[in-house]
Amino acid sequence: MSLRAAEEVIQMAKDIIVVNNLQVWFPMRRGFVESLTAKEQRWVKAVDGVSFNIKEREIFCLVGESGCGKTTTGKAILRLVEPTGGTVKYAGAGLTPKLIKESAETAVKKKQMKKADAEKDARSGVVEVRYLHKSKMKALRQKMQMIFQDPYESLNPKQSVYDIVAEPLVVNNLGANEAERENRVKKALDDAGLRPPKDFMWRYPHEVSGGQRQRVGIAGALVLDPAFLVADEPVSMLDVSIRSEILKLMLDLREKKGLTYLFITHDLGVAYVFSDRIGIMYLGKIVELGPTEEVIKGPRHPYTKALISVVPKPDPRMKTEKIILKGERPDPAHIPPGCRFHPRCPFAMEICKKKEPAPVFVSQEHWVSCWLESAEAKQ
Amino acid sequence: MSLLEVTDLKTYFKTQEGTLKAVDGIGFILEKGQAMGLAGESGCGKTTAALSIMKLLPANGYIAGGKINFMGQDMSRVTGDKLRAIRWRDISIIFQGAMNALNPVKRVGDQIMEPILLHENVDEAVAKKRVQELFSLVGINPNRIREYPHEFSGGMRQRVMIAMALACRPKLVIADEPTTALDVMIQAQILQLMKNLQTELDLAMIIISHDLSVLAETCDLLSIMYAGKIVERSSAVEVFANPQHPYTKGLIAAFPNIKGERRMPASIAGNPPNLINPPPGCRFSDRCYMVQDVCKKQEPPLIEVLPGHYAACHFVQPKR
Repeated sequence: MSLRAAEEVIQMAKDIIVVNNLQVWFPMRRGFVESLTAKEQRWVKAVDGVSFNIKEREIFCLVGESGCGKTTTGKAILRLVEPTGGTVKYAGAGLTPKLIKESAETAVKKKQMKKADAEKDARSGVVEVRYLHKSKMKALRQKMQMIFQDPYESLNPKQSVYDIVAEPLVVNNLGANEAERENRVKKALDDAGLRPPKDFMWRYPHEVSGGQRQRVGIAGALVLDPAFLVADEPVSMLDVSIRSEILKLMLDLREKKGLTYLFITHDLGVAYVFSDRIGIMYLGKIVELGPTEEVIKGPRHPYTKALISVVPKPDPRMKTEKIILKGERPDPAHIPPGCRFHPRCPFAMEICKKKEPAPVFVSQEHWVSCWLESAEAKQ
Repeated sequence: MSLLEVTDLKTYFKTQEGTLKAVDGIGFILEKGQAMGLAGESGCGKTTAALSIMKLLPANGYIAGGKINFMGQDMSRVTGDKLRAIRWRDISIIFQGAMNALNPVKRVGDQIMEPILLHENVDEAVAKKRVQELFSLVGINPNRIREYPHEFSGGMRQRVMIAMALACRPKLVIADEPTTALDVMIQAQILQLMKNLQTELDLAMIIISHDLSVLAETCDLLSIMYAGKIVERSSAVEVFANPQHPYTKGLIAAFPNIKGERRMPASIAGNPPNLINPPPGCRFSDRCYMVQDVCKKQEPPLIEVLPGHYAACHFVQPKR
C-alpha cells in the first residue's frame, strides 16, 4: 500500500459518513399532452449535488429554509428516500466483514463502481450505502437511526411508551426473550433521561409532556445502540424553556456513547450553540460550509449573511442591520441557471446568471460557493 | 381613557376532570397605537386570554370574572348583535397557522370582502377596491384577489390573513403566533410588515408568542404569563434589561444568542402545574431556583417594582 493510500485510509477512518455529490431528484408527472410532445422529463431537484463528511463524534449541522432539501438529504443518507445520484459512504461501528464484502460486490455487480475502487473501500472497512441491497440495509440501519421533528405526530397514540421503544427490537428480531427486550427498553429510556423507566414504560404518549415525548423518540432510536443519528429538527416543536434540556441530553449521549449526529434545523441560534460544523443549504445545494463559530461570526456567502442578520435577537436594545431578502425561495422544479441564489442576491453580477460558482476555500475547513469570493481569490 | 383595560380577568373551562383555570386573574392596560407582547410557554393561557377579549371562546369556556373594558364597553358583558358589530370592525385577530385559517374553496378576495360588506354599508365595487388597496398595503400584487388560498405560499397566506384583519380598519389587532410556522426570512418580512403597519395605521396590537425574541423585535410592552397569571409586565426594554421574576430571567436565559458567546442556554427544569388543581402559593414554585417555604404557602401579589414595572414574586422589593 502506498503512503498516499495509507493516508486516505486514515482519513476515511476518521470520517464516519462521507457524502459525495448526492442527488435526489423526483420525477414530475407528465400530463397526456406533454407525453405526446415528447418533452424531456422534468425533475424536482430536491437535493442537487451535496457533498460533506462527518467525522466520528462530530455534530454536523445542515441549516436552510424549508424546502431547501435538508431533510431529504438526511433521509437519503439512511435511504429512507432513494438517492438518484452520488454516493454515501459509512465507516462507523456495527459493520461486519460480511456486510462490507457484500456492499463491494453489489456495487461492482450493478456496474456502479470499478472493481479496484470497491476493493479499496472494502479493505478500509467502508460500506457504500447507496448500492446496498434493501435487505442488507435493514441490518445497517440499526446503526444509523433517525430522530423525528414532531414528537406529537411521530409517536403512535395507541401504543404505550414501552411498545414504541420496543418496536425496533421486534422489527429487527433482536433480544432473545421478552425479559431481555424489557431490559434493553429500560436502558434506552434511562439513557434518554426518562427516569425511573418503570414510571414511564406503561404510559401513553398523551400522558407525558412534550419534552418527554421527544425523549421517547430518542429512546426509540437509542434502543438499537446506533453509532450515527440523523436528528431532524428535534427541538423546533418544543417550548424554548425545555429545548436546551433535549440538546444537553444529545450532547451527553455523544460523550457516553460516542454518537455522531447529522443535525438538521432551520434555527441558526440552535445550530450555533450545538454543532461543531455547519453547512448552509440553499435550493438543494450547500453554499457555505465550515466550523460553526467561523461561519456564524464570519459568514462569506450573501445568503448566509442574510440568514444570520434576520435571526431575532432576544433583546430589544440590540438593533442590528437586517438584510431582508425579497421574495421567497424559488421552486426546486425550476432552478435558476448559474448561481441558484442570484435572483435574490443583492450583489448579483453578470457571471452569476450564467455560471455556477465552484467552492472556494477561505480557510482550511471553511469553503463558500460564490463568485464574489472567487474574484477575490483571483486577485 | 385607555383603549383596552383588562382587570382581574378569569377565564375557566369546564372539563370532565373539573374546572380548568386557564386564565386566572390577569390585568393590563393598552393604549392606542401600542403593541403589547404576551409571552409564555404553551398552555399558559395566552391564547385563551386573547380569545376572551374577542369572546371567541369554545363552548365549554366562559369568563368567570373580571372586566374587559374596550373603548368604554365591558366586553365580558356584550352579547348578540352588539358583540357582532364590534368583532372585526374594532377588534380583529390574525389566527395561528395561516395555512388552515383560510377557506380553501373561496377566493381570497371574496373572503376579505365578507367583513367589509357585513359591517359597512358599501357596495361590492367599493369593497373590492378596498381589498386591492389592502393587498398593496401588505405587499401582495392586487391582481391576485381572484386566486385561491392554495395558490399562495405560506408567507403570502400570512399576508392575506393580515390584510383580512385590517379589512375594517380596526383599532386593535390580536396576532396569535403570527410567524411560528414560517421560515426565518419570511418571519423577518412579516415582522417588518407588522411593525410598519402598526406605526402607519396607529394600530394597537397584542402579539402572542412563545418566542421572546420575536416579541423583543416588535413590541413596546411585554407581559410574561405563567400558568394563567401574568408574572411580570413592563415596557419591553425594561423586561429585557431588568427582569425581576425568576421565570422571566429563565425564559430570557433559555434563548441562544448568535451575537453573543457560544454556550448552551439554560433550561427551566420541570413542567407547568396542572391548572385544574393549581398548587397553593406561587405557581412557579416547583420550578424556581429561589424557592422558599413562603412560596409554597402564599401567593405573591403583583407589585410595582419600578414605575410601570410589575412583578409577582415574594423576593422582589419595590425600588424607589
